[in-house]
Amino acid sequence: MQLSTSEISELIQSRIKNFSASSEAKTQGTVVSVTDGIVRIHGLSNVMSGEMIEFPGNTYGLALNLERDSVGAVVLGDYEHITEGDICKCTGKILEVPVGLELIGRVVDALGNPIDGKGPIKSKETDKIEKVAPGVIDRQSVSEPVQTGLKAVDSMVPIGRGQRELIIGDRQTGKTAVAVDAIINQKGQNMKCIYVAIGQKASTIMNVVRKLEENGAMEYTTVVSASASDSAALQFLAPYSGCTMGEYFRDRGEDALIIYDDLTKQAVAYRQISLLLRRPPGREAYPGDVFYIHSRLLERAARVNADYVEKFTGGKIKGKTGSLTALPVIETAAGDVSAFVPTNVISITDGQIFLETDLFNAGIRPAMNAGISVSRVGGAAQTKVIKKLGGGVRLALAQYRELAAFAQFASDLDEATRKQLDQGVMFTELMKQAQYSPLSVPQMAVSLYAANNNYLDDVPTDKVLAFEKDLHGFMASKYKKLVDDIEKTKDLSDENAKELAKAIEDFKTSSSY
Amino acid sequence: MAEISTIARPYAVALFKLAKEEKKLSSWSDFLALLNGLVKDKELNAFLGDTKVLDIDREKTLLKCIGDIDEKGKNLIKLLIENKRLMVIPYIFDIYEELKASEEGSIEAQIIVAEKPDSKVVDSLIKGLEKKFDKKIDSKLVVDKSIIGGTRIVVGDTVIDASVRGQLDNLAYSLKS
Repeated sequence: MQLSTSEISELIQSRIKNFSASSEAKTQGTVVSVTDGIVRIHGLSNVMSGEMIEFPGNTYGLALNLERDSVGAVVLGDYEHITEGDICKCTGKILEVPVGLELIGRVVDALGNPIDGKGPIKSKETDKIEKVAPGVIDRQSVSEPVQTGLKAVDSMVPIGRGQRELIIGDRQTGKTAVAVDAIINQKGQNMKCIYVAIGQKASTIMNVVRKLEENGAMEYTTVVSASASDSAALQFLAPYSGCTMGEYFRDRGEDALIIYDDLTKQAVAYRQISLLLRRPPGREAYPGDVFYIHSRLLERAARVNADYVEKFTGGKIKGKTGSLTALPVIETAAGDVSAFVPTNVISITDGQIFLETDLFNAGIRPAMNAGISVSRVGGAAQTKVIKKLGGGVRLALAQYRELAAFAQFASDLDEATRKQLDQGVMFTELMKQAQYSPLSVPQMAVSLYAANNNYLDDVPTDKVLAFEKDLHGFMASKYKKLVDDIEKTKDLSDENAKELAKAIEDFKTSSSY
Repeated sequence: MAEISTIARPYAVALFKLAKEEKKLSSWSDFLALLNGLVKDKELNAFLGDTKVLDIDREKTLLKCIGDIDEKGKNLIKLLIENKRLMVIPYIFDIYEELKASEEGSIEAQIIVAEKPDSKVVDSLIKGLEKKFDKKIDSKLVVDKSIIGGTRIVVGDTVIDASVRGQLDNLAYSLKS
């Protein structure tokens, strides 16, 4: 953005006018040592834990260790210009980031500064990055769904608004793909999205942003980026910043979805900070409070009741509940879910989506292991029609897995067993879905209805997805009223079920796939 | 620096308690000031820090320099030599002085000004500070032309910056951000 000379002088004029030349008492200290972004300060006797400290050169730090004779602080951003003997001051403030609708469509760093080259963010409000989660009285149970647009997820591990559902798996298993698909599917769903990228390559983050732009998802999404080249302090803070931006919507009776991609890297950044602060290391060299950094973050994702929203907005918004749904991502090493950070986050969240390398390599994408993926609260929020039709999928896949192991040794199988095996193969095939192509609720209902009522039994396995695609096209053109009706009611009445059966039969006799 | 003051604190606290019991706060203060001066002496410091020197020689030399002292003073020197903590004496002295000042209800304030002011002005300033900190102010006037005008007061960790330089720095900062 180019500034004209008058604008600059006006700016300076207004700043000089508004500059208050008051003298206030400030507590100051002296920098004793600087080690990899960790500063030890002598003095600052009145500093609070988590308070911002002002260093020379427009740099800020965060007081983390309050010891008898020194304060350990972490510098936010560059620290090369800070030297021993520098004077630093207390600010009396907790770190804050800009919040509000102005952030939508923007890419910001962990402190809320824009990094997308689209000019300054004219946000009117800021908010603290560390806040206490809403209490029990302020909450309401999860009852509305978040549609991810993925058949496998929406039918077997439904997610509700306000839920915390973990996405866990090894590297290269499609964790980010599931998260990004979930964002893309929120178009027109009245949901604001926040994607927090922690410790990823800047090029990877750029790719995600580009994909979101291509699919029109940046219209309702904010990206918070703390790339691998950013300091550990920023990587540690990014999730809290993103959460604060999401809470803005939750507290005002709106719905928001936040993705933390990924929390393993945040824990690693925190480990680095803690070890440099000389805090005692524990299991896997993580500090003792690594559970707390994740629990206090994820606890802020919640569904709040209308009373809370009304109280928060001072009576401006009435009768609306707000929610912040979190999809944290955890990367495991060689499928080891019993490592320290994965077990912690599994225990905190309301369920998990397990993605496996073997399934991914076998071409089953999303590579979700249906057996161990669960959603502890989403069932209550699942769309009626999907709940009605999706129940059979989980069962069929479970039976299939059990039988498949036996069937490898058996030479002669009875009719019932073979049928179950065939159905399992068909369901596995049906659960496959390409990236960036989320399905709507009626589309999912049509697919599941066809599979449940044996319309897919005579379709060759390799043609199942082609059959599904053509069926969706056929339904959209010939049975639009039925599709619209399912979309509107989110349910399948007996009459509609009959018509759907007729439609599928009609399709099977008339179309080739 | 921070770590050394942690080492020095127990010695200073012990000395302070002892001095308070004996009601000899100022005589111990004088003794520590003398020790502090000795340790900071270049030649003596080099001698004390030399690894080839025996502890017994260190003790003899220090006692000779100090001259006539009581048994407790001797014991302190012996203890510091035994624990190899002679070099923390300046910190012990600082902490002891802090403890003494807080016991006596006084606090040291550095008043930095650009030009030597009227004694009336200084008096009223000290009175104001005494009211603010609720303690007796032990003031030290420093003339520093670089602050241009106004005053800058340093009381422990707290800094009250009402200098022209400070205001200009603040203005520069607000224009940059």
